[in-house]
Amino acid sequence: MKAPTLFSLNKDKHFGQIVIAFVSLGFLAIFAAGLASALAVQRNREHTIWLVHTYEVERGISRVDAAVQGMRFARRGYLLDRRHGLRVEYAQARGDLAKAIGQVDALTRDNQRQQALIPQLKWLSGQLDTRLLFTMAQADAGHITGVGQRSGDAGSANFGQRIRQVTARMFAEEQRLLGERLVAQQTSIHLFFWALAIGGVLLVLVAIGSVATIRRYTFNLMQSRDELRLLNEDLEGAVRVRTIDLQRANDEIQRFAYIVSHDLRSPLVNVMGFTSELDAAATPLRTLIDRAEVEAPGLVTEEARVAAREDLPEAIGFIRTSTQKMDRLINAILRLSREGRRTITPEALDMAAMFQGVADTLRHRTDEVGAIVTIAEDLPHLVSDRVAVEQIASNLVENAVKYLQPGRPGLVEVTGRRQGVRVLYQIKDNGRGIDPKDHERVFDLFRRSGVQDQPGEGIGLAHVRALAYRLGGTITLSSRLGEGAVFEVNLPAIFAGTGEKDA
Amino acid sequence: MNGQQPVNIVMIEDDEGHARLIEKNIRRAGISNAIRHFVDGTSALKYLYEDESGPALNGPALILLDLNLPDMSGTDILAKIKSEGALKRTPVVVLTTTDYKIEIQRCYDLGCNVYITKPVNYESFAEAIKQLGLFLSVIQVPDIETD
Repeated sequence: MKAPTLFSLNKDKHFGQIVIAFVSLGFLAIFAAGLASALAVQRNREHTIWLVHTYEVERGISRVDAAVQGMRFARRGYLLDRRHGLRVEYAQARGDLAKAIGQVDALTRDNQRQQALIPQLKWLSGQLDTRLLFTMAQADAGHITGVGQRSGDAGSANFGQRIRQVTARMFAEEQRLLGERLVAQQTSIHLFFWALAIGGVLLVLVAIGSVATIRRYTFNLMQSRDELRLLNEDLEGAVRVRTIDLQRANDEIQRFAYIVSHDLRSPLVNVMGFTSELDAAATPLRTLIDRAEVEAPGLVTEEARVAAREDLPEAIGFIRTSTQKMDRLINAILRLSREGRRTITPEALDMAAMFQGVADTLRHRTDEVGAIVTIAEDLPHLVSDRVAVEQIASNLVENAVKYLQPGRPGLVEVTGRRQGVRVLYQIKDNGRGIDPKDHERVFDLFRRSGVQDQPGEGIGLAHVRALAYRLGGTITLSSRLGEGAVFEVNLPAIFAGTGEKDA
Repeated sequence: MNGQQPVNIVMIEDDEGHARLIEKNIRRAGISNAIRHFVDGTSALKYLYEDESGPALNGPALILLDLNLPDMSGTDILAKIKSEGALKRTPVVVLTTTDYKIEIQRCYDLGCNVYITKPVNYESFAEAIKQLGLFLSVIQVPDIETD
């Protein structure tokens, strides 16, 4: 499970980087497009203003032309029929001209070339005005007739033409500017569209990239989820199968132990029975030897005497002790197998009281060897099988009291603490300790460690471990030779069953 | 045991040694009734039901039954004796090494009259058999009804 997790973590990191990169890129594109657009719009507005400006200037120039035309037409008309209305018209046109020139002057303040022409325009229009007024005044005085009219007219026509030349130049200048500005505006509009297009394309690319990445990621995610679910279901199935197998194996062992121990007992009954018969039969033999020794000493050989008095009782004695030991071993196996078959009935247990009870039953022994058993008052409570827990407790405390270090007063401490859903009990002694190489061995059936100076068959710890396992717990040992031992029993605080059927 | 007719003791026990020890100790208790010994269930059943000198056809009997037999389970023999025919009132003493609670209950459920666990310790064993012998000397065994 470890490698895939790491892999997907890596992938996650990778994915996050890609998404962030894409989103940043997208925002950058939008920002750039917006900026370009704003810039383009701004420039476009400027260009439009300038275009309007150019058109205004051109209109001004046209008005100059129109006013000049107006003046000349009014004067010619006046010369022909001397109507007063035409003089007024002339004055109006003259005013228009001055205004138009002033307007153009104002509008072209930014343009050096146009400004250079303005004084010329002013001077020419002044000259034109003077000529025209002069011819009109002469006509009023009657000096001018058809011919005279012409001579005066030639000067004014000359000035009029020159004015038109100037205005034409100004117009051309404005046209040139207009062309330039139109081109600039086109360029800026193109730029605007390009910016928009590039921004759009970028956005679309980012969108496609992001969607593709997210889709792939989602697909991967769903795939791993499906795999995980499959694995999970499989795991449960595997655990169930394994549990059933284990149960079957355990049942098999229990049955085997029961049958073996049971069937071993039958021949043992015979061995012990006939040993007793033998012993009983040896008694009259000994009496016979005793009598023969007294009544007919010649009949009793040394061999017969030794056989009846020493060899026979000795042999019987060895057979007896051996069969008794074998009987104890078989009974131990039988007890273990029976423990394994016993129904576990969980109940609330006051562990401090239980350990105290165990200590009390060992009182005469502890008093005898001067050992002290202390039990912590805050031992956590437990919901489990009373008989099994009691056997674990008594075996461990009994062992602690039993295997003391010679010359050191025994001190056994029982402590405990809760650890989540489990409870831990520690039985610590200052006894002779257990060699680390024997730590596993002492839990085996019929195996013991250290000096064999205490009675026992090597059953207690095997029994304790089997019980602990049965209750869903474990037992561990830490000890060094000569430095005491600590047995730690770890049990579920509330026995929840091992899943086996007690039927 | 029975005034009119001697009561035969039928011992069904696959272990020759056990059989010998049981017989010795019964004798020591002063019981002199005939003891017929069978080492397997088939021959024992044949004797019980079919033999001319067997209890079904001839006179009262008391059965000592071991549960662990080579050819069949002692409880099957017990069930057969107690369920049907002429021998259903015949006292059956189960004498076996098994001291498993469920097994004991089952035997009494099937109608066994006495259940004794053979002690491994020979002194206790001898004592138990002697007491059984004393017990046998005082119990009344019903006559076989041939119906």
